[in-house]
Amino acid sequence: MRPGESAAASPVRRRLRLARGPMTIGEPAPSIEPRLATGEPYRPDTIADGGSAFGLIVRAASVRGLHKRFVGGPRQDDLCLATHPASSTLIAAVADGVSAAPRSDVGAALAVRYAAAAVARQLDGEDPVDWPDVFEQAAWALVTEARRVGDDPSVFATTLLVATVCVAAPAPEDAVAVQVAAVGDSPAFRLRSRHYDPLVDSRPSEDGLIGGGVAALPRDARELMVGSGTLEPGSALLLCTDGVALPLAGGEGDLARALARELATPPDVVDFARLLDFSRSTYDDDRTLIAVWRPRER
Amino acid sequence: MGISEPSAPASAVPAPVFAGTVVGQVLPMYFVGDESHSMSGDPIAAVNQGLIDLRDEVAKHPLIGKKVRFGIITFADTAETRLQLSELSEELVLPTLAPRGRGTSYASALEALRQTIPADVALLKGSGYQVHRPSVFFLSDGQPTDKSDKWRARLDELKDPGFRERPNVLAFGVGEADPDVIRELASSPRYGFMMTSGASTAGAIAEFASSMLNSMVASAERLDRGEQTIEFEKPEGFVQLDAPLL
Repeated sequence: MRPGESAAASPVRRRLRLARGPMTIGEPAPSIEPRLATGEPYRPDTIADGGSAFGLIVRAASVRGLHKRFVGGPRQDDLCLATHPASSTLIAAVADGVSAAPRSDVGAALAVRYAAAAVARQLDGEDPVDWPDVFEQAAWALVTEARRVGDDPSVFATTLLVATVCVAAPAPEDAVAVQVAAVGDSPAFRLRSRHYDPLVDSRPSEDGLIGGGVAALPRDARELMVGSGTLEPGSALLLCTDGVALPLAGGEGDLARALARELATPPDVVDFARLLDFSRSTYDDDRTLIAVWRPRER
Repeated sequence: MGISEPSAPASAVPAPVFAGTVVGQVLPMYFVGDESHSMSGDPIAAVNQGLIDLRDEVAKHPLIGKKVRFGIITFADTAETRLQLSELSEELVLPTLAPRGRGTSYASALEALRQTIPADVALLKGSGYQVHRPSVFFLSDGQPTDKSDKWRARLDELKDPGFRERPNVLAFGVGEADPDVIRELASSPRYGFMMTSGASTAGAIAEFASSMLNSMVASAERLDRGEQTIEFEKPEGFVQLDAPLL
């Protein structure tokens, strides 16, 4: 069903039982009953959001990784969606709290919200988005929180990836302009014809092993990577955290093929979260994904 | 809902690092243990018991066992691979370490690591694994019997930044080990540990083994972040060598 179409227009086949369980890719991860995360502030296991804005369709979900579900830890990923109606701009942010930082769940939650708000404030002016300033403001939010609670700012360490999709900005062939900016290893891709094109440079480490440290706010606000591109009708912008990016394996593996197929058109909000919560052995980090589609003209 | 797809056609294009079908992510960890005669009796028994406990604990953990691969290299006058890099399952048969030989050749142990690690990493990658930087737990109760320029040359090769698979090395000295040598072996000053003087060697080894297990669990839990450092807490009865001893 397309957005705006009424449910009555297409008869819905009644399903008597709910299909349960995750999509399995390769060897499944063990099935466990998650332990509730009991810390403050409240950090739900899963969040799912989505809708349409300015002719764009967006889906967003963040799910707690199996490891945190096993030990009862909070989800350290977060996301934020915002709009700037005057400029017809969708703002999206994802953050991946550094697991070694004890309050990175709070850090991620603050970073995405302050960054989205900073972008919206800047769009009120006429100038292009000042990305270094956006990231400084997000970093400052972490430093301020650290002062408030009397802790070291590093306890809130988090990556941050922010994107704007501006429908009003001119681009050829009915495309819309996309800008992305990131500190750390949370990547952005454009998914077009089942191909994943990176929009910010998230190259693997030179020695071919995973790891090598990660840039994170508030310390590394100046290690900013900025990219831009266009979103053509039928293609999707993907913003994700490491928990998705690692098994995505540069867009080449089983997961990449499955996601490309399932995201060829927007799933509904809950199905999108279910998709993100796929089962795959050894990949038990938190996962966050925002997808923005520029639908084809009807 | 399950996903099954026909396998992708082989590509003629040179493969980027993580291209192709990935099957999982793994952390290789090695125990490099002293099997020289001075380890006879309780110390070597403590090592063997520690390894059994490590296997059993990791095997019964629902998430860690699949993410860790464990290998054992021992050294006396020569080095021997006693356990090829393996998944720690309940069925895994562990070697029983026993004192042998006349020397304590650090050079041969370090050389064995330098040879084994790249081969193991290549094998894992070839099987479709995404591989994290390997870690080494080095335990000795004595001083190297090689000439110092010889074992230091092997150590330099292992630590060489040009060595792509260079491991994180945590070094532990018990008994007669030389704190300065242990500190030198560690890949970071905070990764060097020396048994407190007067403690029992076997007791210290038991604490070491339990810390190795904790490190394995904590590191595998946090794999996804890909942080360079390995998770590790100082075992009871050891001092960290990141400051010069008085």
